[in-house]
Amino acid sequence: MSNEPAVVVDDVALKFRLYSERNDSLKAAFMRRRKARYEDFWALNGISFEVPTGSTFGLVGRNGSGKSTLLKVLSRILYPDRGSITARGTVASLLEVGSGFHPELTGRENIYLNGSILGMSKKEVTRRFDEIVDFSGVRKFIDQPVKNYSSGMYVRLGFSVAINVDPDVLIVDEVLAVGDAAFKAKCANKFQELKNQGKTIVLVTHSMGTLEEMCDQAAWIDQGKLVTIGDAATVISDYEAAIASEA
Amino acid sequence: MTYLQELFASRELLSNLVMREVKGKYRRTFFGQVWSLINPLATMLIYTIVFSLIFKARIEVGHPSGLNIYPVWLMCGLLPWLFFTRVVNHGLSSITSNASLVKKVYFPRMNLPFAVTGSTGYTWLIEMGLLSFIILLCGGMVLPWLPLILVFMVLLALFATGIAMALAIFTVHFRDTSHFMSIALQMWMYLTPIVYPLSLVKDAAVTHGQWIYNLFRLNPMEHFVNVFRYLMYDNTWPDIYDVLWCIGWAVLSFVLGFIIFRRGEKRLVVLL
Ligand SMILES: Nc1ncnc2c1ncn2[C@@H]1O[C@H](COP(=O)(O)OP(=O)(O)OP(=O)(O)O)[C@@H](O)[C@H]1O
Ligand SMILES: [Mg+2]
Repeated sequence: MSNEPAVVVDDVALKFRLYSERNDSLKAAFMRRRKARYEDFWALNGISFEVPTGSTFGLVGRNGSGKSTLLKVLSRILYPDRGSITARGTVASLLEVGSGFHPELTGRENIYLNGSILGMSKKEVTRRFDEIVDFSGVRKFIDQPVKNYSSGMYVRLGFSVAINVDPDVLIVDEVLAVGDAAFKAKCANKFQELKNQGKTIVLVTHSMGTLEEMCDQAAWIDQGKLVTIGDAATVISDYEAAIASEA
Repeated sequence: MTYLQELFASRELLSNLVMREVKGKYRRTFFGQVWSLINPLATMLIYTIVFSLIFKARIEVGHPSGLNIYPVWLMCGLLPWLFFTRVVNHGLSSITSNASLVKKVYFPRMNLPFAVTGSTGYTWLIEMGLLSFIILLCGGMVLPWLPLILVFMVLLALFATGIAMALAIFTVHFRDTSHFMSIALQMWMYLTPIVYPLSLVKDAAVTHGQWIYNLFRLNPMEHFVNVFRYLMYDNTWPDIYDVLWCIGWAVLSFVLGFIIFRRGEKRLVVLL
């Protein structure tokens, strides 16, 4: 395996416009001729780091610090206003599972639909179909429309598709917290398995336990800026010390 | 990967999205796919009663087909128009109505408006097939023209998709675009010779001035309707002037729509 980093984040900055008055209708824009008023809010403000190939990288920080925003930039959902992201190989993200399911279609049809949204070919989905269904544990209902699923089943199926995409880099945002205890254990195993296969994983978590257990390196983000970056133990102790001093 | 390569690589996603629309829409409704045919049939009935029986709109006899049936003549123009409006109306909201998906997963966004065109096109294909069959029963010789009809269906699809792509971006900025467009499309329909023949406009131009007629012919949909009537109702070669306009409008609309969409899509998620 080469020592080239799997992901390079170089001075990434991204702003949102916080509108106090937004012209989001033609009526407002042309008839009343009001001017839109907004304030720039930098959710990410010059973040740089590298994720070594085959490692697991954790992101921590308080609510609203920009973790999910950073993952969205990594997943190409948001485009940075400044800086760049380079990823080697395919990137898949698990930001919210089951988005893109069609309630009227069966579980089986939705697996194919969601698989292709996540970038899998039909052949790949077919090859992994049994694995996906077994992992989700909803085999009995696989030919039922997903609108008849319980919310837990829905999430499990979505998660099973996403986790079986088999990318080089996997991006995960707090989805480990879904499902019942048995399913959580199953997920933890799956991540360990991916890790053993040498996949690069970037994950956001609020659980220091998960971070300590799974991550080689971590970064602490606050108000869109990097505070500490290094091995997981250092970041955890820094972060926890800061929280303790605040409380 | 370049943008086009990536788009091409996601064609399986496109076919799945089209399937989602086609299957999801009529699944578990009593008549299933039949519903999609009832709508144009009802429209046909209303327009035939109003414009043929009450207003006595006179149509020209198809030459050389010899057809002289108002509902058939009407449908040759109305089906392409209905396809056009459905693609524009649903395509313009394709991003906003899939906001939760667009915000959570990356995939080439153009597949969303394309999927609307695909699923609407699927219904349209069935409608046009049925109409061709009816024309055959009525004695029109539409069979040799089918390949050319398909070509113009593709051109109209390009034209409609281009407009839908541009408006999809526009809708993200201005959410009431769809209200505005449904009014605009209604007016556009009556400015297109769909329920009445172009000869009526010609007559009006004689008394009120040639500019009326010239203005009328700037309408892209007028040329498309003409071509479909030549091919399906008259069973003859379309006017070369109409053909050139159709190709020109289709290419212009699609290219512009593509460029506008590409420029706008990066800022989509921030605004959704
Ligand atoms: N579309 C948006 N428009 C305006 N502001 C936004 C938008 N999305 C996020 N923000 C702001 O950006 C900041 C960072 O949000 P983000 O979701 O990245 O936080 P987070 O670190 O993931 O927090 P959490 O731990 O709660 O998940 C927040 O202040 C949020 O209000
Ligand atoms: Mg978050």
